[in-house]
Amino acid sequence: MPENTTTVAGAAQTGTGDAAPPSAVGHVRETEVCGIRAFLAAPAATDATATDAAATDAAAPSEGREVSAGLAFRVGTVDETYATHGISHLVEHLALHRQGMTEAHYNGATTSTATVFHVSGTEEEVVAYLNGVCASLRDLPLDRLETEREILRTEASGRSDGPNHALPLWRYGAQGYGLASYTELGSWHLDADAVRDWARTRFTRGNAVLWFTSDTVPGTLDLALPDGEFLPTPAATSALPVTPACVHGGDGVVVADGVVRRSVAATVFADVLGRALYTDLRRTGGYSYTATAAYAPRDAEYATITAYADALPKKQDAVVGGFVDALARLRAGHVEQSELDSVRAKRLKAAESQTREPDALVVSRAMNALTGHESLPPAQWRTELEALTVEDVRDVARAWYATSLLQAPGRGADWAGFTEAPQFSAPESAVTGTRHRSIEDAEWTLVIGDDGVGCNGPGDRVTTVRYADCAAVVAYPDGGRLLTGLDGFRVAVEPTMFANVTQSRIALIDRSVPPAAVVRMPKRDPERIPKPDVPAAASTAATPAGAATAAGARPARRSRRRLAALVVTRILALFLAVFAGLLTLAELTTPDKDYVALVIAWVLAIGAVLLARRLMRPSRRAGGRTRGRAAKS
Amino acid sequence: MPPVDPPSPVPPPAGPQSDPYVTTPALVPLRSAAQAGDWAATRRFLTGLGDDDQAYAVRMLTEIDDTEAYLERAAAENPDDPLARTLVAARYVVVGWNIRTHSRPQYVSRDQFTRFHEWLRRAEELLIGICADHPSYALAWNARLATARGLELGQSEARRRYDRLAAHHPYYFASQRHLLQKLCPKWGGTYESLHEFARTCADAAPPGSLAGALVADAHMEHWLELDEPADGEYIASPEVRDELTEAAARSVLHPDHRPGFWDVTCHSLFAMALSTGGHHAEAAPHFKALGERFDRQPWGFLRGDPESQFVNHRTTALTLTS
Repeated sequence: MPENTTTVAGAAQTGTGDAAPPSAVGHVRETEVCGIRAFLAAPAATDATATDAAATDAAAPSEGREVSAGLAFRVGTVDETYATHGISHLVEHLALHRQGMTEAHYNGATTSTATVFHVSGTEEEVVAYLNGVCASLRDLPLDRLETEREILRTEASGRSDGPNHALPLWRYGAQGYGLASYTELGSWHLDADAVRDWARTRFTRGNAVLWFTSDTVPGTLDLALPDGEFLPTPAATSALPVTPACVHGGDGVVVADGVVRRSVAATVFADVLGRALYTDLRRTGGYSYTATAAYAPRDAEYATITAYADALPKKQDAVVGGFVDALARLRAGHVEQSELDSVRAKRLKAAESQTREPDALVVSRAMNALTGHESLPPAQWRTELEALTVEDVRDVARAWYATSLLQAPGRGADWAGFTEAPQFSAPESAVTGTRHRSIEDAEWTLVIGDDGVGCNGPGDRVTTVRYADCAAVVAYPDGGRLLTGLDGFRVAVEPTMFANVTQSRIALIDRSVPPAAVVRMPKRDPERIPKPDVPAAASTAATPAGAATAAGARPARRSRRRLAALVVTRILALFLAVFAGLLTLAELTTPDKDYVALVIAWVLAIGAVLLARRLMRPSRRAGGRTRGRAAKS
Repeated sequence: MPPVDPPSPVPPPAGPQSDPYVTTPALVPLRSAAQAGDWAATRRFLTGLGDDDQAYAVRMLTEIDDTEAYLERAAAENPDDPLARTLVAARYVVVGWNIRTHSRPQYVSRDQFTRFHEWLRRAEELLIGICADHPSYALAWNARLATARGLELGQSEARRRYDRLAAHHPYYFASQRHLLQKLCPKWGGTYESLHEFARTCADAAPPGSLAGALVADAHMEHWLELDEPADGEYIASPEVRDELTEAAARSVLHPDHRPGFWDVTCHSLFAMALSTGGHHAEAAPHFKALGERFDRQPWGFLRGDPESQFVNHRTTALTLTS
């Protein structure tokens, strides 16, 4: 199960702190190295609780010994804005640029809450790596900025999204933890000053932890970094007014997440949930190949538990049904004692095998310290695990369900008690300003006002982005502006798609949005500038591939057949009206008036006008769903 | 017969009868209990029945108007009793369906659909909980087959629900009929899956059980979907006739068959399917079993008054075989 990470790396495994093996946590020693909070793997024989002074820290490097180490900063995507999204990732790339080719295994990773540099090799190699990273952080090779920005964009295009990719944006909006769903807009425009400033204020001594899988650190270590405060993780935002909630997703994937307090019971619930889904959907039903659940700490207090099942399109309705029933069963507390016992045994066994591999413990302790989560003392962890009852698991199941967000294909899941996540902004949020009719669909109007922009359709279908709540404004030289609100709703101001969107209206938007939200993009490929798809334009060519996403919150297009019918009846109405008018004029001048022909002509003309008007109204079926939020720009 | 209050005196049927409380007088005490809001008597009646009769009786009960209140009260007072909760849900389904009516979708308004779905969602929410607590409780799964159809949850979900039920109740006739409906092209199924399901159920069921009537049900549904003259040719074909007579011989005409609440429905299906195909001699045993009783539903599929259709076809069949 992919985590809310922007890069795939070893750091993702650092989130297993709640399952910390019991007997070994004590073998981690906390100390300070170069003014940085540090965690060292103490030899099994030493006093487990020792946090004595740094007396042993400055030992001479011992030749050829293999060690692992890491330096992690409490800064990640959660601290960014949509406009600066990717800035921590950029710093990570730049800091690693000067690392040459070596035998040591090293990497960097940016997660939602941390940026991590880690390395394995001889002590010399590890020291060289860490010293190099810190030297680079002090003085980033900003001449490389342009290149690294491009590498970030390449990396993003090659990355495959996990099945839960869209969940964060629906839960949190286009900010904080929600940015995990979004592209790194920062990779398009961040300049040297912005990146340097980010490094100087976030990549500091006070905002870092160090770990080392040995009981001493070499004296050659030089981790000089700027002073700075520890930055706690920001509070989670919410874009879901009601939970349990559901959203529609693509074929073949049923995925849900929920947020619960970090606890031993919650880790066990995740295992029980995964097994329940596997039993019901794979073993009994044969509807899914993969059916699983995973636990990932989100911040100091909360963890996200994600459940996922795949499905053949023909079987996906059964997967949604089986998913719903499995959740209901756990919520009702129907967990076999044997099931709980076997999960418990598996956890204990994993803990014991980790005891023989103490590296993971040091990482876990360090990462927990970084997010401010207190690692559970070993004895307490075991006691809690052993005391866990079916009722405890049921309570977590209920808490998880109460916050859950389910993405289902096909028919969706509103029938099962999940409330559909908002597809449009609140109608009362609509802004006033100049109105610009959609060239494609007369039912939709773009509004550009002093407070924000909106796209208003029939009924309550209103999408609003207020300038003050703008997460990012993607600005193209051709005048296109894509505004994304903090709540994730989008309005695409495309001069090619709406009537009379003049330079001065675009200038009003540019003046009104927060300057920090503006992302200036290079010239667009003409193929990617959206073009209206209307018969009047005599264009039957398919819309450019990028147009649909570029336009963001757009009404579902009227079906071609409907449009054709509309055009035909309009022409017919016009023709009949003109004919009736001419006939009336002719009759007026004739002494021998034919009233019957006149009445028939007018009845036909009025009938055609009414028919055209009727076709203009939203069709019940063609109304369609508009996705007010989208992940990609 | 369940140990209930003495049945109210029912006059012997005079002429053709389609009122289920007349054709099956054993159901009268259930109606009395429901109309009196007597939960204890309702429960006693229903729990005294076998699976198939119980499902039939529940259907009758939920069609009695204004029973929600006493069923909701019973469910609130007996939170651990799946029967009371299931009856509430099953009643909601009927309330919803009465709003929707049984018309084809194009004749149902948007507002009707909205209210229909609201009732079904209320029912479904209850049923999800009941099935979680009592995974082998047939009446709840049976009601969930109706909600699956009404909420348009897809073929695979309907099948999953049936499979969950069949794991514990392999020959549950009411649910087999529900799934059979879902397998009809009008609900997104195919003729192949429709007939295959009917045959598989009929073959698997013990001799004398009701499942054979599914074969008649499937042929009726197929016939209904076809236009003239294909429909007439279809139902008159010797293949269909042979399938019907074989299925009848293994079910309601089998010596092991025990009379029950579904008999009028099943014999009506066979009699109607065979008569419509012109196989009057083969229909005769079913008319004999029915006597003056008939089910309005299959006979209503023919043009004209169901009762006259029944009487006319019966006369033809019995005259030819007398």
